Amino acid sequence: MPKTFQTIEAGQTLETPAIEISEQDILEFAAEFDPQPYHLDRAAADASIFGGLCASGWQVCAVMMRLLSDSFRNADIALLGVQGVPEMRWKIPVFAGDQLTGRIEIIATESDSKRADAGRVRCKIDVRNQKDQSVMLLTSDVLVPFNEQVAR
Amino acid sequence: MSEQTYIRSRWFEDIPVGEFHVFGSHTFSEKEIIEFGRKYAPDPYHTDPSAAFDTPYRGLIASGWHVAAVWMKMMVQYMERFATGVQDGRRNGAGVGVRDMLWLKEVRPGHTLTFTYEIIEKPEKVVRDKWGIIRSRNEAFNQNNERVFSFEIDILAERNPDGL
Repeated sequence: MPKTFQTIEAGQTLETPAIEISEQDILEFAAEFDPQPYHLDRAAADASIFGGLCASGWQVCAVMMRLLSDSFRNADIALLGVQGVPEMRWKIPVFAGDQLTGRIEIIATESDSKRADAGRVRCKIDVRNQKDQSVMLLTSDVLVPFNEQVAR
Repeated sequence: MSEQTYIRSRWFEDIPVGEFHVFGSHTFSEKEIIEFGRKYAPDPYHTDPSAAFDTPYRGLIASGWHVAAVWMKMMVQYMERFATGVQDGRRNGAGVGVRDMLWLKEVRPGHTLTFTYEIIEKPEKVVRDKWGIIRSRNEAFNQNNERVFSFEIDILAERNPDGL
């Protein structure tokens, strides 16, 4: 049975797998969701504020979610998604070939999430690249169910 | 042409607090919800319509980050209609960070979201000698006019060199 909200404690940390972002990944995401020159065109990107072809910040968020989802699954903690993000900052661009990992630290738990079935687990998440630079920093309120029966 | 024609190439100084836009609508299909879920949020309530019925969501729902990505898609489409002029046509747009992002209601296949933004603040801070910060409040409403998504975002806008 997956772990429920009651087993989660502040101070716990989770390591995530690594995900590599290819140029193809960047172009595909940008074509669908963020078709701006610095995410689509190498020459325009070189001349832009970012200094090169880089992933949409929203793609970095999506990859962060994949890291979060995978790490909760690997730790056998049930997950009912993310309720909110009190604060998030994009710190440096993510370029083609970058490998991203996350450091997830549980900083608080709150049983009153305004939901009957799940508590709120506030996580501090630091997404880092292969040079150990922080590319995105956020706090995220994750929903973890009280009852393993709904923990699928 | 009106001033609004150049919405995306305006200087920081020319973007007024209080400006409000309804900037796009999008209907979420089952197919796109599952595609996004499989790639980025592979939990059953985002990827498998029948397994999703056995979760507290009682059916398939869009990943919150899918909703956020569609916000960006709508914003770019809206801005592109008004972009022109400078280099790649932009003096503003790069995001710095987000606050108070909340997913308030589930987005299910067939739901249509309409997105709005309002410029709420221009913090007095100069970034890398060149950029100012534009803070906007963004919201999305579903087909029943229920608020489903909201957040504030800071973007960079180039300051008019004549004003520095």
